[in-house]
Amino acid sequence: MLEVGQARPALDQLDFWQQADLIGENILATQTLYTPIRKSVFTLTLQRRFLLIAVALLLPAIGLRLFTTVYPFIQTAALSVQSYNPAFPPAKFVGIGNFVKAWNDPVVRASLGFTLSFVGFSTFFQVFFGLIIAHLLNAQFRLRGIARMISLIPWAMPMVVVALGFRWMFDDQFGMIPDLTRRLFGLNSMRWLIDPNVAQIAVIFVNIWKSTPFVGLLLLAGLQGIPSDLYEAARVDGANWRSMIARITLPMLMPIIVTTAMFMLVWQLAVFDLPFVMTGGGPGFSTTVLAQKIYLESNSLNYGYAAALGMILVLIVLVIGAVGLALFRRFEVE
Amino acid sequence: MTKNTFSRRLFLKSSAGAIAAALAATSGGKLLAQGIYAPNILRQQTNEVVFAIQEFAHPAIKSVLPDFEKQSGLTVKLEGGPVSGNDMLTRYSAAFAAGNSPVDLLSDADDSSPTFMRAGWMLPLNDVLPAETWNDFPASMKPHIDGFLSIEGTRYRIPHEFAVGYFFTRKDILDSKNLKSPKTWQEMIDTGKQVTDASKGIFATTDALIKPALMYVYVAYLTAQAGGKVFDFDDGTAEALQFLYDMIYTHKIFPETAFNQDYTAQNELYMADKIAFMREWPFFADVGKAKTDWFKPEKMVIELPPAGKAGSKSWIGGWGYSIPKAAPNLDGAKALLKYLTSVDVAPKLARQQGFLLTPRASILKALSSDSNPLLSAIDMYSKANVFSARPFHPRLAEAQTVVDDVASVYLTKQASLVDAIKQGKERIAALNS
Repeated sequence: MLEVGQARPALDQLDFWQQADLIGENILATQTLYTPIRKSVFTLTLQRRFLLIAVALLLPAIGLRLFTTVYPFIQTAALSVQSYNPAFPPAKFVGIGNFVKAWNDPVVRASLGFTLSFVGFSTFFQVFFGLIIAHLLNAQFRLRGIARMISLIPWAMPMVVVALGFRWMFDDQFGMIPDLTRRLFGLNSMRWLIDPNVAQIAVIFVNIWKSTPFVGLLLLAGLQGIPSDLYEAARVDGANWRSMIARITLPMLMPIIVTTAMFMLVWQLAVFDLPFVMTGGGPGFSTTVLAQKIYLESNSLNYGYAAALGMILVLIVLVIGAVGLALFRRFEVE
Repeated sequence: MTKNTFSRRLFLKSSAGAIAAALAATSGGKLLAQGIYAPNILRQQTNEVVFAIQEFAHPAIKSVLPDFEKQSGLTVKLEGGPVSGNDMLTRYSAAFAAGNSPVDLLSDADDSSPTFMRAGWMLPLNDVLPAETWNDFPASMKPHIDGFLSIEGTRYRIPHEFAVGYFFTRKDILDSKNLKSPKTWQEMIDTGKQVTDASKGIFATTDALIKPALMYVYVAYLTAQAGGKVFDFDDGTAEALQFLYDMIYTHKIFPETAFNQDYTAQNELYMADKIAFMREWPFFADVGKAKTDWFKPEKMVIELPPAGKAGSKSWIGGWGYSIPKAAPNLDGAKALLKYLTSVDVAPKLARQQGFLLTPRASILKALSSDSNPLLSAIDMYSKANVFSARPFHPRLAEAQTVVDDVASVYLTKQASLVDAIKQGKERIAALNS
């Protein structure tokens, strides 16, 4: 910073960074913008130099994003209209052929159906039970901190471990769950992972068990943002707990509920590890999800067909995302 | 204004210079082209050979490596290889497709090898291994070598495992009930009914039927005995599926829980006295013997498989060694492969590990004085003409998935046999188109 009365050094005697420092400091003091004196026709202006530096610093981040997101997406879209298997060259353009094949593929139809019901039921019950858990953990009681910690244990466990564990727990011969249902309810073999319908229920149940704590955590954060004087005022007006939930809690929480639900829907659309490890996608293909079908096709090097299935998944995600945004705008609390 | 001794410009220039120097020093362009396999460039300089094979085989391999390393001057690094064909495809396809390879030599499965071979990713071995090595294999393995390990006479893989579904019987349980080991499908049912006590969780037989791929193994096994071709979904396949269905639901000698069972669970049931006989891979011989508090010879007697319409059959397959074309150290890989498959070294490996046992003449001769139940079984099965070729399809992994799906759909009563066979034919036809 120049002192009062101090002579300003000739700018052409300073290097670029010294000029920038001096000019920057004096802009603050005098609100006057100086331009460095050009040394030659190839010298960049200050503005251009700042721009170049900004671009250079942003380039790695942009490059990474382009390379890891945009390029794979474009490549997948390009592959989806080709029939390409490196073991059976050459690749050829088939237009919507892969999509027609997917429509006629019984496994794809079945896996799409199960994926949607898996995601739909899972999300609904995760939000439902998540709300209950959030309410319970929002109450004041001793050891609340420990209760909150324990409630997160299912979410903290790796999914593969959970899937393997529940595969054994549902086993009709060795499993804890069939044994308990027999002892408590007198129910003989439910054929948990053998009957196609019951296997679907079992897989969805495990997913709900695993991810509900996470949803509960998000909703708990939302609950804590609701002013308590609203409840006090309601109590004074004679409202019971049902009215308070319906008139205060739910409306206030709705944006978070919608956001969380959309997040869980989109995230769980790409689920793979749970059904794959727990049932292998069986019995038959009753618990095969679309992600597993994509994995099987790409593992068989049917890159074109796998890419087409991937694009179908992207389309579903876009539709759900659009619906979610519309709902969010509707329920947004100002 | 004081001049900075270390300016931002100096810092940026220095960083860029350092990165450029590092890239230039390590064959810049080639390094970038290798991507995440860039360390391969360095490996080429260190005479290291990376060999991927399943971990339970490592002790046996390690026992023969010191001589090789001394002779060749190479260092062999062992890696835990994938345990199934699907895992092989998952782990290596991306690298091979990109022209890279994380390993120099690998143990490859029947399910994945045809795909790798047809994609042109594996090195032909005709000129790598001497004729003496190839001629060491018996005639019974020739269809398997020509079908699964070769394309039009060019060999890409050499077997190191001889996998057959052996018929293990609990002679102790059968003797206690004055029963004989079943020789035919009908005897399986008759004997099975006398052994089964579902209330105690005891069944005549079981197998691992969980997806993926294990259901296919057993269906293909029964189809070979019925004289069918499993990928054709012909009458033999239908008969095999019907027989399995009847064992489960009609005669109830086969537990339904097998749909969710893998080989570990199957072996546990056998060793827990819940099963009287079963088809299982050779590795069970080591598993059973390792359980010293349980093992007795009469608990693990290998007999001929029960005969269907086409006789007593069991298809053969097995893992084998191959070399990726993109292996960073091709010469090292070739040298190691020649060494491991030589007539001197192969018997040493076979003696220690069933996964490395094949009925090669040199191995049978070297182990003739060993009391190895697997060798006796190979001899018995060979004389009875039990070995049948593993079903082949150019798109093997997908074809096996079709069999998995269709069999599972029928056996869990989601479709009738007629509909299941029809679906199987349609899906295989779609693969062939």
